[in-house]
Amino acid sequence: MSWTSLLPLAIVLSSLVPGLIIFTLREEQQRLRVTLNLAGVALKVVLVAAMLIGVSDGLTFRFSLPFLPGAPLVLQGDALSLLFVTLSTVLWLATTVYAIGYLEDSPLRSRFFGYFSLCVSATVGLALAGNLVTFLLFYELLTLATFPLVVHRGTPESLRAGRVYLAYTVGGGTLVLMGVALLHALAGSPDFQPGGYLDGLVEERGPSLRVAFALLVLGLGVKAALIPLHGWLPKAMVAPAPVSALLHAVAVVKTGAFGIVRVVYDVYGAEAMEALALARPLLWLAAATILFGSLRALQQSELKRRLAYSTVSQVSYITLGVALLGPLAVVGGLVHLAHQGLMKVTLFYCAGNFAETLGVHRIREMNGIGRRMPLTMTAFTVGALGMIGVPPIAGFISKWYLGSGALEVGQDWVLLVLLGSALLNAAYFLPLVWRGWFATPADWHADNWAGERWETHWLLLLPVVFTALASVLVGILAGTAISPLGWARLIVDREFPR
Amino acid sequence: MNAALLSLFAPLAGGLLLVLWRPARAGLALGVALVSLLAAAAALHQVADGTRQWLEVGGWAPPLAIRLQLTPLSALLLLFTAGLHLLVAVYAARRPHAIGGADFWPLACLLHAALAALWLSADLFNLYVTLELLGLAAVALVALAGEKAQRPALDYLLLSLAGSLAYLLGVAILYGRYGVLDLFLLGEQATADAPTRLALLLMTLGLMLKGALWPLHLWLPAAHSSAPAAVSALLSALVVKGPLYILWLLWTRLAPTELAVQAGPLLAGAGALALLAGGWAALRTPLLKSLVAYSTVAQLGYALLALGLAMHWQEPRLEAALWLFVVAHGLAKVSMFLAAGELQHTLGGKRVVTLKGASQTLPVTMFTFVTAGVSLIGLPPSGGFLAKWLLLQPLLERPQHWGWALAVVLGTLMSAAYVFRVVAHGFDRARPQPPQVRPDRFGQWLTLLPALLVFGLALIGERMLPWLEGVSR
Repeated sequence: MSWTSLLPLAIVLSSLVPGLIIFTLREEQQRLRVTLNLAGVALKVVLVAAMLIGVSDGLTFRFSLPFLPGAPLVLQGDALSLLFVTLSTVLWLATTVYAIGYLEDSPLRSRFFGYFSLCVSATVGLALAGNLVTFLLFYELLTLATFPLVVHRGTPESLRAGRVYLAYTVGGGTLVLMGVALLHALAGSPDFQPGGYLDGLVEERGPSLRVAFALLVLGLGVKAALIPLHGWLPKAMVAPAPVSALLHAVAVVKTGAFGIVRVVYDVYGAEAMEALALARPLLWLAAATILFGSLRALQQSELKRRLAYSTVSQVSYITLGVALLGPLAVVGGLVHLAHQGLMKVTLFYCAGNFAETLGVHRIREMNGIGRRMPLTMTAFTVGALGMIGVPPIAGFISKWYLGSGALEVGQDWVLLVLLGSALLNAAYFLPLVWRGWFATPADWHADNWAGERWETHWLLLLPVVFTALASVLVGILAGTAISPLGWARLIVDREFPR
Repeated sequence: MNAALLSLFAPLAGGLLLVLWRPARAGLALGVALVSLLAAAAALHQVADGTRQWLEVGGWAPPLAIRLQLTPLSALLLLFTAGLHLLVAVYAARRPHAIGGADFWPLACLLHAALAALWLSADLFNLYVTLELLGLAAVALVALAGEKAQRPALDYLLLSLAGSLAYLLGVAILYGRYGVLDLFLLGEQATADAPTRLALLLMTLGLMLKGALWPLHLWLPAAHSSAPAAVSALLSALVVKGPLYILWLLWTRLAPTELAVQAGPLLAGAGALALLAGGWAALRTPLLKSLVAYSTVAQLGYALLALGLAMHWQEPRLEAALWLFVVAHGLAKVSMFLAAGELQHTLGGKRVVTLKGASQTLPVTMFTFVTAGVSLIGLPPSGGFLAKWLLLQPLLERPQHWGWALAVVLGTLMSAAYVFRVVAHGFDRARPQPPQVRPDRFGQWLTLLPALLVFGLALIGERMLPWLEGVSR
């Protein structure tokens, strides 16, 4: 085995092994736990960096292990998987720091960080999965690893949310299983490849392929929160803030969207998608979800729930870009995978900070919060403006490419969806920004101000500032090769050989 | 073949010695199980390349002889039986509360011997004898739980006798019609006439009753959930698989193809209904062990579904799925019953709701329960997943078979629902300061072992497949 085949495995293990060790630690072994966590993160960052360099130089990384008859376990690093792996790693780093600060002195931290690491391992494994069977394996593991995090508080409310979460995700997982098994019965389980591997079957097994696609997209749509399968997401908001942040930015919703990208481009391929007339329904579904999520977000009076519905809407931009089937739109969709992650994680950290420091949960309690927590509010503003699509923040880049992509393939109406969504985003985010900076502070102000040198615990502040800065930087540096945009273009160059 | 015979006679001799030699000793039982395990491994090694070996008892040639056969599958089942017996015995030696009395040791050995003989027999009457011995040993084991188990044990005894009787009647009819009892000779001669049909019907009903296959499963939940934990583990993991093995032999080796094709959908339909009915009952029951017992009813549905469809389509891949289900379910169920017993014993309550907070107080045992449950649901990369995958492949290849796949989907969702019903209680933090419980560390980790093995099964599953399909017609 050479290092190119072991590297993908090492990337998965670099969070799995610390996670398993953390389970066995006692509560009071705080220092060891933090060390293990950070060592795992640091190692993963190094390994991912090595793989990034390798892949941009054209190396291929592939690890395989016999598993099912005709379907080995395959982990491979290609450009697309690395986009997601890098995002997961960076946000895991930030969220680990945040969670250490957030959960200080709360009970059951070993269990929490254990599952947290498992969750990241499953996400990274899913990103590196080289065929559908491996993808399925990590997709199910992710469900199992996130459930304990959702119910972490153990209150009746969180248990109820956990049940809803499981009902949706296990149901979705079963659909994905059937889809994968059906495709395996039809075409085996070869590695993912640009352009897909089903072209030869389109004539003969068209209806079966359509059924398989429907099963896969519905199953993945549960995690990607496509309507009408999004019901679990606002409920899962009862989880602790770092969990919501990770769930919304990377772990759960993104795996669904990422799975849709894989299925559309590396299993079916654009040609088969056209021939089977599958892209159009997906496009409509995505467009409907974008508008529906924004409308529902407008109606929420609780900050975290508003953010949750905003996720429903924003994640569907990825699906939209994918379903347009044009190179520019795909760039927009892929780059949004990273951009939405950075911006949404910022917003959730901020919401967590407000709740943790001042006990602010509802929107009307946010009045004047910017005077008390200026840095957090600045970060929140960056995230909110980015979501609306104000340049030069990351969100603008995604929307630009999505819009030009829609024009390129002649789907002009999509522009209206994008515009409508931008307006709705403005309608539900700008009032928050206004309240935070300009409204008269409410009565929490006097007794909560004194005594602290920083506006909140520095471990809670650091990740917020980091991700907010990153959201601006990836927008400003979008023209360079090392930005998410540059990488997304690299992916598309390899997916659409001209 | 000698190794296989050793694997059979070690527990038999041990069991008889333990009956005579009072008070019974755990050490002897452990030794016997270990010898049997090693012998079974040697036997598997001998036939690992797919050969089969015959032993003609007394040196007579068929049709006079009583034959024993050793195939890769029967060697694997010998190994499986001995391994689980050893594991349960080690656990029982450590945790005496799980066995209900010293009589456990000889009875478990006899049970082991009966099963080993069953896996090796190729003769209808011989199979009857092993079946009867198996049933009696199982009933006696259930009765170990004392007064509360008297009623279930008595029901089990009566139904088990009725089942054996129906089977024996079928054997008699076949003997009257063909004049031989050797399974394979019968398979060559059997035609689809009325006596053969009647005999097969009687035998099938008898075996379904003994194997608790839906709809003849009603005795199982009471018997399995009232027995001591170690006994429940043996019963669910091993005993119900014996009649299933005979049923499989009957329909794939003896019955004329045309009858098998006709009967297949009936058995498969019963399997699908077992999945749903068992799953539903497991969801509704308030008691933990009863939930696990109903899950056995549901899981046997997968096996029956695989058997019925294998008969109907004459599809050997489904036979492999059947045996993988049997092995994966056995391993997972041992873990699950022992974990349930451990939870019940430590937390002091029989109901599912007593598990509130168990993920804090008994994390390892709870983890065991979940790990076993994940295999029962059939999530990757467990053995249960592998079995389900093999079952699904032939179902999905043709759109007209998708109805059966729907039954599998519903079964999966049901099993997920009842497993997570337990798990969700474990994460409840209703009492922030849980009572101090002292779990037995060794017992805990031992219980986890088979659940981990079932995950290992997925990694070696591909290599095991030739053994499962190796019994050629």
